[in-house]
Amino acid sequence: MITVKTYNLEHQPSRLSAYLDWLQMLTGAGLILFMWSHMVLVASVNLGAGVMNAIAYFFEATYMAQVGGPIIGATLLFHFVLAARKLPNTSQEQGVIWRHAKMLRHTDTWLWLIQAVTAMFILVMGSIHIWTVLTDLPITAAKSAARVQGGFWGVFYLILLPMVELHVGIGFYRIAVKWGFIKRATRKGFHRFENIWTGVFILIGLVTIIRLWTLPLAGH
Amino acid sequence: MSRKLKFNIFRYNPEDPKSVPRTDTYYLEETPSLSLFIALNKIREDQDSGLQFDFACRMAICGSCGMVINGRPGLACKTLTKDLPQEITLMPLPVFKLVGDLSVDTGTWFRTTNTKIESWVHTEAEFDPQALEERMENDLANAIFELERCIECGCCVASCGTANMREDFVGAFALNRIARFILDPRDKRRDADYFEVVGTDQGIFGCMGLLACEDVCPREIPLQDQLGILRRKMAFVGLKNIFKKHA
Repeated sequence: MITVKTYNLEHQPSRLSAYLDWLQMLTGAGLILFMWSHMVLVASVNLGAGVMNAIAYFFEATYMAQVGGPIIGATLLFHFVLAARKLPNTSQEQGVIWRHAKMLRHTDTWLWLIQAVTAMFILVMGSIHIWTVLTDLPITAAKSAARVQGGFWGVFYLILLPMVELHVGIGFYRIAVKWGFIKRATRKGFHRFENIWTGVFILIGLVTIIRLWTLPLAGH
Repeated sequence: MSRKLKFNIFRYNPEDPKSVPRTDTYYLEETPSLSLFIALNKIREDQDSGLQFDFACRMAICGSCGMVINGRPGLACKTLTKDLPQEITLMPLPVFKLVGDLSVDTGTWFRTTNTKIESWVHTEAEFDPQALEERMENDLANAIFELERCIECGCCVASCGTANMREDFVGAFALNRIARFILDPRDKRRDADYFEVVGTDQGIFGCMGLLACEDVCPREIPLQDQLGILRRKMAFVGLKNIFKKHA
């Protein structure tokens, strides 16, 4: 018996948009968890250079840094490609959303524009940061401190820190409301929690950068 | 003491080749319980008979008087001047075709979108005019009615960043409409059928969650909740077929 496959005659609605939306959310959620963990781990330097060195050693001895690092980098790029589908591409669209946001004076619309702008900074600066750290393993408190104290990298991280924390914090809020985890009744309270949470992480980051800037480099 | 209100109103008549978009200023003494709808009628009556704007019911059910009030889409009839500053700027709703001044053609947009999402109950059942109306649980009827309260004023669409950027996005209105049919047992469409209509980047996956629709809806329809439920539902329908081969 001869069977003829008629794929292109069958009507199959495309599932692509659904898959891409899943992936955008999942890569985003993964990166949010990573960034918060990353901040806490780097902040270990505030407890002492030895603590940070021990943690870094753990991640390198288990090859989590060597394997996980490039995976995070790839996820970052993949997440960018996925989310960029929603960005205004033409100058006409960019003009529309800019005028729209100015007219509406609506917090969540502005937050989205902040997400879009910080995304560009993170794409470039995040990639540079990942490359710099992973091509110069092992990670030690002394090396990080020396880099920050060089001046250029200190300023670099002072810019990248708020960019990442804002993007990640807003993204966390956005996923929660978009996917219906947070309902109308709890949105306001959750928004306030997200603001405080983001503020706390920026604060931890600043303290950490100051710690690295002031860490004695003797013995390096 | 009553305030002297200053109105900045967008003026343009696309039918008139000599007309150029501009803002005209009018002054009006504020009276108690003055709504924008009454204010506009007074201005048209006493100051400028050529001013174009739409209204019909003056009680927030016809959805005709949607306009941008100090930057926010809303209904002129439902907005009291006492809740606004002394200077009030009125613009027509974006996204929709401008008829003139504050009047826009929402009808064509809603008709096209309703057709696109097949906004009616799909059933094979033969209609029997003699039969009693099909019964449903009161809670279900209320849940459907909650979403059915939409008056198609267009405020959610005009406030939507995506709808402003992308012409083919169906907006919160249509997604809420589909949510309403999903609830309705008389509509025999299955989840996969709904997916075909809104499981795209022009549908629920185009929504970026800016939630201006939720914040401006004059009927306070729970759009945020419905969008969330619909995204989850459609996302899982999308996943369901991932392991299925073609029949």
